[in-house]
Amino acid sequence: MSNPDTIDPKFKDEVMAELGGEHLLRCYSCGTCVSMCLVSRVSSEFNPRRTMRMVMLGMRDEVFRNPTIWMCSACDLCYPHCPQGIHISELMRAIKNIAVRDGYEAPGPVAVVNEEECSGCDVCEKACPYGALSLVTKVFDGQQRKVSQVNKNLCMTCGICAAACPLSAITVEEYSNEKVAAQIQADGWLTEPAQRLPGEPQLLVFNCSWNLRADVDRAALTRFPPNVRVIVLPCSGRVDPIFILLALKSGVDGVLVAGCQPGQCHYKQGTRIAQGRMRILQQILDQMGLDMSRVRFVQIGTEERGRFPALVMQMLADLKARMEPANITA
Amino acid sequence: MAEKLRFAIYWAASCGGCDIAVLEIGHNILKLAEAAEILFWPAAMDFKYKDVEALPDKSLDVCLFNGSVRNSENEHVARLLRAKSKVMVAFGSCAYEGCIPGLANLTNRGDILTCVYQETPSTDNHAGAMPQTHWAVPEGDLELPEFYDAVKTLAQVVPVEYFVPGCPPVAAQVWNVLQAIIAGQLPPPGAVVGVGTRNLCDECERVREGTKVKRFVRPHEVIADPQRCFLEQGIICAGPVTRAGCGRPCIHANMPCRGCYGPPEGVSDQGAKLLSAVMAIIDPEADVEQLVQQIVDPAGTFYRFSLPDSLLQQAKWLEVGKR
Repeated sequence: MSNPDTIDPKFKDEVMAELGGEHLLRCYSCGTCVSMCLVSRVSSEFNPRRTMRMVMLGMRDEVFRNPTIWMCSACDLCYPHCPQGIHISELMRAIKNIAVRDGYEAPGPVAVVNEEECSGCDVCEKACPYGALSLVTKVFDGQQRKVSQVNKNLCMTCGICAAACPLSAITVEEYSNEKVAAQIQADGWLTEPAQRLPGEPQLLVFNCSWNLRADVDRAALTRFPPNVRVIVLPCSGRVDPIFILLALKSGVDGVLVAGCQPGQCHYKQGTRIAQGRMRILQQILDQMGLDMSRVRFVQIGTEERGRFPALVMQMLADLKARMEPANITA
Repeated sequence: MAEKLRFAIYWAASCGGCDIAVLEIGHNILKLAEAAEILFWPAAMDFKYKDVEALPDKSLDVCLFNGSVRNSENEHVARLLRAKSKVMVAFGSCAYEGCIPGLANLTNRGDILTCVYQETPSTDNHAGAMPQTHWAVPEGDLELPEFYDAVKTLAQVVPVEYFVPGCPPVAAQVWNVLQAIIAGQLPPPGAVVGVGTRNLCDECERVREGTKVKRFVRPHEVIADPQRCFLEQGIICAGPVTRAGCGRPCIHANMPCRGCYGPPEGVSDQGAKLLSAVMAIIDPEADVEQLVQQIVDPAGTFYRFSLPDSLLQQAKWLEVGKR
């Protein structure tokens, strides 16, 4: 139990007065939100139902000291299912806003801007689904320059900005361009003949971190044959088309990019951005006379159990059929 | 006075704009003439290939080579000038990255020749005559250069020390490069010279407000607001993925950057990077498939100047090699 001395009975009123916090008292703790929540799956400490209850009980310090309150990405999977119509991500934002005013900060990690390389082109500000990036004017060597700045309390490290940044001046450390390129090439997978299974195609898969809800599908990620390499990124919006071209020019037979269904994207816009990039890339491959069936993009819904492993194996079979001598076109 | 530098300037598959770009340095051409002796410049003066063949190897200090390598004549002269030159400069976008002629790599030799010699509405070729590399006539054998299947950059054919981007390079940067050559102050080999730092946006004075794109439009469909960022108006501008240094003549003429100064340092594929940036700035309310359809000719739009030098081109050559 909480220490009565630290209870703040006015906390709930403060949250309800904050934009987005109005409907707090509607919550009757049914837990539907938690059952929908993808963050709760990977981080059991994150629990919107419990957070709302603690706010009602005035447990201010406990709420703010929980580092997971920053993890709500506003995917809004819970919102349509809440029987009380509470916009829970808005409520979580109201709580975060008060936390920021109280001097708390998101624990990170966050996207990092290399100010020396940043040109202030502002592509990242337009790309960020969270408004976490904006231009500020700074002085470098006596010269004023506009550079991008990350609001660490808003950044969700989806990496959409890193894929969009024309100068690679924004990095999400765990998923940096260098690390992804190294994963594509690791163990000489594409370059060492000994790594290839004779007559078998090699398929590279970029999967987002959130589109597989069933444990059996998540387990499948590690059980594909060795000619399938899966690179898990936070979001399909992190996939830079350069990664795909890099893999193709290094000899991969096919690339599959899998994201979430639009409307279910964990980072709101990532799967739409990936969709746009992939459609255009496929058109470009076709214009170039490359076989565009070598690059596929799929969007997997939260209820499509079993679809991802089936898609991987189907694409592998299609790539293998392509390699049959009868199907090789001049 | 010190001995004059020995210069050659050549055009391969190019439009001639790069040769004019050298003349655009204006009165400074006199300073160039003071510092350098020009031993070969077919676009400006009467020289023959045999003049170059007669020179000892490495007897030219610098060769400014413009134009891409489209046919066997281009390649022959590139190899000849390489052998005769101490320093080879890929001068202009064609030699550097393939440029507009490089867009022919979206198709192939067979389709190009069929289109040009048989299918164009103004062509009347009932006999089906096609260009041949050798043809015997009573007067003797006639020869034409072999038309290659793909356009290559200069560096894909011979080693190159320096790269000067631009379609064409702007006069101020041409003079900067020439001054560096004359003063012997070139950076270590492999460098892209005659450029600024970062990208075009770094210098661009247009206002950026973080506006996302609801609709892509082509430059001729709207009159662009001359104060605002083109991308925020839905007009595809290659500025974010284009090296600074041109002085932004297109932007000042209220036209978006098309990307002729090539990718900035560290960008391995200008087209894919522009695609990645452009499709990231779409409005959450807009229909993605509609936005995709609004981008007409994506390969030409995103790879307008850089196709032969791209990862995409390497992927194509690998796939063709496997067939």
